Amino acid sequence: MSHAIEIRDLQYRAGTFEIRDLAVNVPTGSMYGFLGPNGSGKTTTIRLMLGLLRPIKGTITVLGGAVPRESPRILARTGYVPEQPHLYTSLTVAEALAFHAAFYPTWDWTWATELLGQFQLRRDQGLARLSKGEMGKLEMLLALAQRPELLVLDEPTDGLDPVVRRDVLTALLDYVSQQNATVFISSHLVHELERICDWVGVMDRGRLVTELPMHSFKSGIKRLRVEHPPALPGDTPFVLLAREGGNGSLETWTVRGWQAPMQQYFAGVGASLREIVDLDLEEGFVELLRTFREPSTGA
Amino acid sequence: MFRQLLYTQWKWSRLVLLVIGLAAFALPLLSVQGVRPDDLGRFDVEQMLAGVQTWGLLYPVLATAAALILAMTTWGPDHRGKHIYALSLPIPRWHYALLRFGAGCVLLAAPVAMVWIGALVASAATNLPAGLETYPTILALRFGLAALVAYAAFFAISAGTNRTAGVVLGIIGGLVVAQLILLIADTNINVLSPLLIRLFVWPGPLEIFTGRWMLIDV
Repeated sequence: MSHAIEIRDLQYRAGTFEIRDLAVNVPTGSMYGFLGPNGSGKTTTIRLMLGLLRPIKGTITVLGGAVPRESPRILARTGYVPEQPHLYTSLTVAEALAFHAAFYPTWDWTWATELLGQFQLRRDQGLARLSKGEMGKLEMLLALAQRPELLVLDEPTDGLDPVVRRDVLTALLDYVSQQNATVFISSHLVHELERICDWVGVMDRGRLVTELPMHSFKSGIKRLRVEHPPALPGDTPFVLLAREGGNGSLETWTVRGWQAPMQQYFAGVGASLREIVDLDLEEGFVELLRTFREPSTGA
Repeated sequence: MFRQLLYTQWKWSRLVLLVIGLAAFALPLLSVQGVRPDDLGRFDVEQMLAGVQTWGLLYPVLATAAALILAMTTWGPDHRGKHIYALSLPIPRWHYALLRFGAGCVLLAAPVAMVWIGALVASAATNLPAGLETYPTILALRFGLAALVAYAAFFAISAGTNRTAGVVLGIIGGLVVAQLILLIADTNINVLSPLLIRLFVWPGPLEIFTGRWMLIDV
């Protein structure tokens, strides 16, 4: 499997915040959701990935080129939507398009015009007067109309209303289906990523907690109701993320890497499995972070 | 690419450029206000030249102000966006800085041209006594060179972070304070003079700002 983005042993420090031993692999053609709570290091990782910041050590390879040495060549093939609007607010929409287009040889004016209509943006509108939703749409338009091989989107729908969010994501999915581009999208809106991503990476406190295909992440995390559980779970075939006491002899276990044949484990330890509850991505994400932060809670 | 950068800088600084341009046009005209060729004795000519020279002090001040304001407006929007947009553009950092510098230089040509036009108009409108000449082109070229030197310095400082600007100002302020303390302590040590000589006396980079800035001279 080839990777559009490969990060190895990345280390970066700014004040008290630190990224340590970060390794990320984004398969080419995938939609990779980068999850993490606020302040976990998602934006910093993205800025390092694009060569906007310089790491202390480690290697970053994007679209086959080394960052930051080959950053200009990489950036010419990458559409980037940053967390905060960053465009020059004294320009109009038309001027912002002309400015951006001048730097990208692959810029597609026909499609840019089409997206302007689709997003209902007026050419003569000043950027300072755009609403948050309109600015979000313009940022996405600029990233898409340069026809990139890689889209790096840092919380692109954060703070947007549902209608605008749908417009932006529809345009993104249309593009990906046409171009087979790779998308790296960071967000803390877990349900949004659940719908569109096929890979997920979870980051917390400057470290990657896990990275796996979305289906494994979604199907592998379960909440189990266990009757007469053992005091010490011993060598479990799954990863026990958390166990909480319930009423009497009933406990709730949160596990990762669950598969149906693993039910036999409970008979072996004198317990019985009463119920298996599927967790959605958000619940799984919360449990994962809780275990990561308090490893002693788990097995 | 350059045209787009030039356009953005023009848009950010056009009002300031208009004001500076008007001042640049008016300055040569104002400097010849007191020139009356009739019944000028030797003493009157010397007085008139002294008046022109006094006005001449404003040329380096205006060149410095134009350069400072232009350098600040060049980097202001990028600073406000924490340089994220500029850094995410697919060109090397040095290339981007060079384009911005070049665009600023092109815009500086406007006040220089206004000084030249103003000086030409002032020269044409003034009936000089024998022995005196006007130097509109030399004055404009000198103004342009001073503005360029000042722009290069302010551009470099503005391109850095607030911390960089703070360090530069801190060093200058520190030297001034040190000199004051040495003066109060009645020592013969002078830390500023050697530095000022290196900067303002040929071949110092700021030599262009010194000397007589005269539209009219012998």
